[in-house]
Amino acid sequence: MHPKTKLHLLYGAFGLMMGVTLSLVGFTDFSEVHKMFIFADFRLLCLFATTVGITMLGFAIVARKSSIPKKTFNRGTIPGSVLFGAGWAITGACPSIALVQIGEGKLVALFTVLGILFGVWIYRKLAAGGLQLDTGVCGEN
Amino acid sequence: MIDYLPWWIGALALSSIVIGFWLSIGRPLGVSGSWARIVMWKEDKTIEQAEAPFRANPEMLKDALMKATIQHFGEAAVYAALSRRGGKPVAAPADHPASMEIKATWTMHAAFLAMLAAGGLAASLMHGPVELRFNLDELHAQMFGSGIGYLMTLFVGGAMVGFGTQLGGGCTSGHGLSGCSRLVPASLIATASFFGTAVAVSLLIHFFGGA
Repeated sequence: MHPKTKLHLLYGAFGLMMGVTLSLVGFTDFSEVHKMFIFADFRLLCLFATTVGITMLGFAIVARKSSIPKKTFNRGTIPGSVLFGAGWAITGACPSIALVQIGEGKLVALFTVLGILFGVWIYRKLAAGGLQLDTGVCGEN
Repeated sequence: MIDYLPWWIGALALSSIVIGFWLSIGRPLGVSGSWARIVMWKEDKTIEQAEAPFRANPEMLKDALMKATIQHFGEAAVYAALSRRGGKPVAAPADHPASMEIKATWTMHAAFLAMLAAGGLAASLMHGPVELRFNLDELHAQMFGSGIGYLMTLFVGGAMVGFGTQLGGGCTSGHGLSGCSRLVPASLIATASFFGTAVAVSLLIHFFGGA
């Protein structure tokens, strides 16, 4: 198989697995996420913490000798994350969730997706226009 | 009310995805990066085209790099440095998976994002026929109303998520899972910031907003 075809299939397969999992555990359910944020229910919080724990163990075993790229701190890290956190509380969606919600039939999440596209586009325009905040995003640095 | 998977099964599945992604693709999993790539698809194509001759002929890249180095440091300094090393080029680190060599194109990221939606559909079908909804759920509709105002709330919130994750350099997957699990300082700070803010805003909405 051509390596590019293989990568397309791999990216697609991981998207599918992630979408199914996020939906089945309830991370796409606004009420569940809201209950997590107001500490009314610790199920999703446990899930997140345990995922980090198992991943830590996994990386320690399989990627001992690899140098996995690390994100670096810059002056956009905190204001950007604060903005993201507020948006997450309002829409119940982090960047993957809005798409999974559309698949679940919650069609209004299309507006969240349009918002995300608009936000990313504006940021890239500003960054290209000389705003010296460029960061290198998720998985790409 | 849907019965969700027990949290520990979810944790096993999600961590397998994060580790499997790294093992098979050779990059840390991160969703906000995929958004950036599909929004910038035109630039992606331009870079891809500009790089094509270099990928086809790696010697060409070496020559171009050498030419630029000589231009910058001067011929004498470069030859002096080369002779000190016995003329051997610096070897690339050998511990990266082979697929690191192939650049992920924006279409791969598009496949990833599209299949997230397909995953939502597949999971819903496991519970029965998919019901089309025009709000996220009753609680969300109670908080933010209906009609144009409701849709605008989602759009503005989405824009905050889009802009914020780009400025902050990552999201729940990139900072929260891929970063925190390796105790990367920037990711720990980012995760504390977005989680803390989400808690604060949610508490405000819970006690003062909506119904």
